[in-house]
Amino acid sequence: METNIPAVELVSVSKFFTDVTAVDDLSLSIEDGEFFSLLGPSGCGKTTTLRMIGGFEMPSQGEVHICGEPQGFKPAFKRPVNTVFQNYALFPHMSVFQNTAFGLEMQKAPKREIKGRVLEALEMVRLGGMENRKPSQLSGGQQQRVALARALINQPKVLLLDEPLGALDLKLRKAMQLELKDLQSRVGITFIYVTHDQEEALTMSDRIGVMRRGKLLQVGSPEQVYETPATRYVANFIGDSNYLGGRVLGQDGGRIRAELASGEQLSALPASDLVTGTTVTLAFRPEKVRMAPLDLRPGVGNAIECRITSVVYTGSFTTYLLSAKSEEEIMVRWQNEAGSDRQRFSAGDAIWAYWPAELTTAFPEDDEGLVVPPSAALDSGEMEQVP
Amino acid sequence: MMNLSPRQRRVSLLTLIAPSLFWLIVFFLVPLLIVAAMSFGQRGTYGGVEWNLTLNNFGRLADPLYLKIFRRSFMIAGITTIVCLLIGYPLAYWIARRAPKRRTLFIMLLIVPFWTNFLVRTYAWLLILRDQGLVNLAWTGPLHSAALWLAATLPGGFTSSLSQLTAAPLGLFGTDLAIIIGLVYGWLPDMVLPCYAAIERYDFSLSEAAEDLYANRLRTFTRVVLPLTLPGIMAGSVLVFIPSLGAYITPDLLGGARSVMIGNVIYSQFMAARDYPFGAAVAMGLMAVMVIGTIIYFRMGTSGSPEVESVEAGI
Repeated sequence: METNIPAVELVSVSKFFTDVTAVDDLSLSIEDGEFFSLLGPSGCGKTTTLRMIGGFEMPSQGEVHICGEPQGFKPAFKRPVNTVFQNYALFPHMSVFQNTAFGLEMQKAPKREIKGRVLEALEMVRLGGMENRKPSQLSGGQQQRVALARALINQPKVLLLDEPLGALDLKLRKAMQLELKDLQSRVGITFIYVTHDQEEALTMSDRIGVMRRGKLLQVGSPEQVYETPATRYVANFIGDSNYLGGRVLGQDGGRIRAELASGEQLSALPASDLVTGTTVTLAFRPEKVRMAPLDLRPGVGNAIECRITSVVYTGSFTTYLLSAKSEEEIMVRWQNEAGSDRQRFSAGDAIWAYWPAELTTAFPEDDEGLVVPPSAALDSGEMEQVP
Repeated sequence: MMNLSPRQRRVSLLTLIAPSLFWLIVFFLVPLLIVAAMSFGQRGTYGGVEWNLTLNNFGRLADPLYLKIFRRSFMIAGITTIVCLLIGYPLAYWIARRAPKRRTLFIMLLIVPFWTNFLVRTYAWLLILRDQGLVNLAWTGPLHSAALWLAATLPGGFTSSLSQLTAAPLGLFGTDLAIIIGLVYGWLPDMVLPCYAAIERYDFSLSEAAEDLYANRLRTFTRVVLPLTLPGIMAGSVLVFIPSLGAYITPDLLGGARSVMIGNVIYSQFMAARDYPFGAAVAMGLMAVMVIGTIIYFRMGTSGSPEVESVEAGI
């Protein structure tokens, strides 16, 4: 097997609709057998990208390659990919069996073979014995499995999934995430998964591509995009982040020293080249921050003086909101482990907040993307796709 | 809800449905029963009905003359329905694929002409189709001149026969074709609207799913779109077929003296021959055929749904 040929390769692909650029000069290479997620807010062009791979939209510029073969303007029914649609798109007038058999039937597979493979596929998604039901007689989770079986039975080179878990409730969604990941490693098919749910992407993916406004901001493993976000937008979109404004004092090996408005100094990893004097934003994750009483100054890493403004207990962890000397707000997420010391601090206490310097990222002020909560980015009304 | 005794509840329900019940009884059921009763009567010497019970009127329906008219009417109504479907379904599909705002506009454009009186519109078709009408003016005018010029420049059997053909009017008026044109025009919206309603409800992501599963355009249509929009086609066909079968104005105006449909028979029995009982019998016969036919049609549509086929049949 030529495993070095990427399963899907996008070469400078753009898609223009009448008044919107949905995908803007996007290049991406997805390896064979990979679980790849396209993550971004609604309207970032992730679904359009998926539809161009599937053959439901044709690129305005650039080329889509599947297993090394340029696809040109090939229609969907001639491409070696299958799709699990957002709303499943099961044929309501056909039984589970007929839905699952549809692809093989269209490829004119012998009827004997169809029956065996359909039953096998339904068994694989744990729907054995359901073959005579109509989609309307199934629960959301079961419909989802039919959609999966219907696509996987064709043994596609690549399976495209367009927010397949969006319609399910939280518990079921979590269970399906693990099941999908497990299924993918069993069948060994390349999965390209579109989602706006960062947690979903982090849980399942081998690699994640974070998209915004038709552009790919960062491609990397879940750990890479979470721990070392390439832009402030990525830091903000994936997980929660704390931000402190500052000015670059100088370089220090691979790191920079920055001075905060309060005069305190911190170390950080620069996301790009930063000249001395540049205004920067320092970002770090809430769960990386620890707290210590004022009389116990932490020795290494970054530390600033704060006052606790509120303590919110939320089951598995406790959230502390701190106010820095510069009046900037910092969130701390403290795991409630056995013998936890969460009782030690309460609202009103003055404390040290400290965290490792290597888990702090410095972004230039003119970095693409303002600091907006992900929920606000979702509501910004950007276009998802033009029907 | 207030606490009402069962009796009080019955009374209040009755009060609520009374107006529509009254309307149905007075304007639908009573006239129908009168016509039904009439069909068992006998024609009076000077018109009117003599109420001595007989089945003779229904016996007369078996006359080959009337059977032939029945058959003709069915054929004309059938062709009308098929033509309406062939024009109406693609039209409805096209409209349903427009942007939502455009759809309303196109549906309006389709309906607006039908605010004009039916008689007037049918008369307009008479003006278009008759020998001195618009179609024949073009046929014997510019088209004939063009054919003559063609025959002069390219002499030959075909061009000369073409010029001979265009010399005389087409003689559309008074033919079954004219009736069918008039009926198709008249009932097309009744086909388009139910088809549109069905196609508009259809989830087009199902077409994408079919295409994703290797079905080309034709198979996507026959296996997915058509079965799921069949209710619209069935409703539209009934809505076109039934009024076409009983049509009276259209064959009367466009069919001339030669073409007669059942509607015209009923009319002439009542108005010209003044044979109310026989007219009533024809009307009842037509109704019976329609009711039975419609029941069978919908039974067929629901039991023999197209999904039960292919794969499972072979396994």
